[in-house]
Amino acid sequence: MRGSLIKKLIYIILITVFLGLLGWLFIALIPDPPLTELELASKAVAQARDNNSVIYSARLFREAQSLYDSAMISWRTENSRFILFRDYERVKMFASLSQKKAAEATTNTIVRANGMRLSLKTEIESLNAEIAEFEKVFLSLPLTQETAKKHARGKLLLREAEIDFNKGQYVSGNVKVTEAKEYITASYAYARRTLEDYYKGYNRWQELVKATVDESRSTGSYAIVVEKIPGLCHLYHAGKKKYTFEAEFGSNWIGDKTSRGDMATPEGRYEVTKKLSGASTKYHKALLLNYPNKEDIEEFNYRVQNGHLPADSRIGGLIEIHGDGGKGGNWTEGCVALRNNDMDVVFRHSKTGMAVTIVGSTITLEKYLSTIN
Amino acid sequence: MKNRFFLVVATVAAVALMTSCGKVPQANIDAAVAAIDSAKTMQADIYLPGDFAALNDSLTVINQAVEAQKSKLFKNFKDVKVKADALTVVAGELAGKAVVKKDEVKAEAEALMTQAKALLEETKTLIAKAPKGKEGKAVLDEIKGEVTVIEASLTEAQTLFDGGTNYMQVLDKVKAANEALTAINTELKEAIAKVRR
Repeated sequence: MRGSLIKKLIYIILITVFLGLLGWLFIALIPDPPLTELELASKAVAQARDNNSVIYSARLFREAQSLYDSAMISWRTENSRFILFRDYERVKMFASLSQKKAAEATTNTIVRANGMRLSLKTEIESLNAEIAEFEKVFLSLPLTQETAKKHARGKLLLREAEIDFNKGQYVSGNVKVTEAKEYITASYAYARRTLEDYYKGYNRWQELVKATVDESRSTGSYAIVVEKIPGLCHLYHAGKKKYTFEAEFGSNWIGDKTSRGDMATPEGRYEVTKKLSGASTKYHKALLLNYPNKEDIEEFNYRVQNGHLPADSRIGGLIEIHGDGGKGGNWTEGCVALRNNDMDVVFRHSKTGMAVTIVGSTITLEKYLSTIN
Repeated sequence: MKNRFFLVVATVAAVALMTSCGKVPQANIDAAVAAIDSAKTMQADIYLPGDFAALNDSLTVINQAVEAQKSKLFKNFKDVKVKADALTVVAGELAGKAVVKKDEVKAEAEALMTQAKALLEETKTLIAKAPKGKEGKAVLDEIKGEVTVIEASLTEAQTLFDGGTNYMQVLDKVKAANEALTAINTELKEAIAKVRR
């Protein structure tokens, strides 16, 4: 009886130990969940997102995110299997790759954002300098309204880019600065080209001015030299510059006059044909010039014959140096306007037949630009 | 007989204990997701991006906790349930905050727009009064062109404002226009004052 009880007790102990071992084995065989790996990956992805990798390193960030999603899907799939048959190796692999890609995106973003910040800063500074030069040099040129509008649009976009830059939004700042650059550079290039094209006549201008001044010197007479670019009218006597006055021209003053109504002031060597004052002029006092001269007529005929001007074009005339100037800007229909006081001086020293030479400038383009800057 | 009865009671109690906390609180998680979606609809991602990102981070943590519990033999989703409920509350609060923030930005944009329009009108009046000295006309023509462009930009901003999609964008646009107008305005006032002196 006692022996059988001991036997039973031994059996119970053995079964308990066996079941205990089995339970321990079962628990020991359950694989550890990849929680740490997933946590690290999600933190790395969040960090990449927070430093704007979605903008600066879009591809790497997308890859990191997609690898994280794959890790979660694999985890779910493994969890749906019998507990002892689960294998989290793929989950860990995806998580680790996701973490790596996210870290790569973060590093790449730091480098790119910094590079973009620097290049944006440089671009903004350079465009601001271009705008300042444009406004200093080209503002007085008779540019098209379209060019002026382009310049203004570029200027406003650059301001918007500056706001983005100050907020650290380098990508949208970069987009705006690129658009601003197109407008600013286009208007700058157009203005510069206009001036360069105009300056192609520089050698001829030099010859004309030299001939006029030489003639004034050799005859001891008065002569007038008008420079359009600086907007000046010089009165010479015996080859020496006696007076210099500010002058205003036709609104389309750049280039030579080609026909009636083009609002351009003619360029070349002219003479005073009539002195007008009192009731004979509405501009205080005036010196009528012999425009069109022989050269102008030849040029006009050539242009009409070659279709550069419509067949019914007219050459125009009644070009004067007159008073009522000082209005600011170039407002005449092709004449040269001086302030009344200045006109009085010029009128006093002039006589019929006096030489009047109108040119673009007596200084080179480079010198002009360096003077302004 | 008595022993067998105790065995059944013990088994039922063990199963009840093991399963009572072992069910994923899906309804609570769905409610949290819906609350986040609702916060996004209220544009929390635009007006409070940092806080909105934090919501998504919390959801990620919850999803990880769910799978972590599922990986265990004895599951316990109590913590997940608490976290999901808390997230629902926070997301709901954020949706409210986003509406407030949006209204603030809208009011700021509206005030700035009114200021810009007044500045635009003042600038136009100043242009008429501006002196036309040497190169004055050319400068004025340039200013007029610039003002036209700014006016167009303000019209664009007004269209964006009326659309109501993103008042932040409107704010940036109007700020740039306002800065440009202020610069022109100051330049004109200085030129006029110089002539009067």
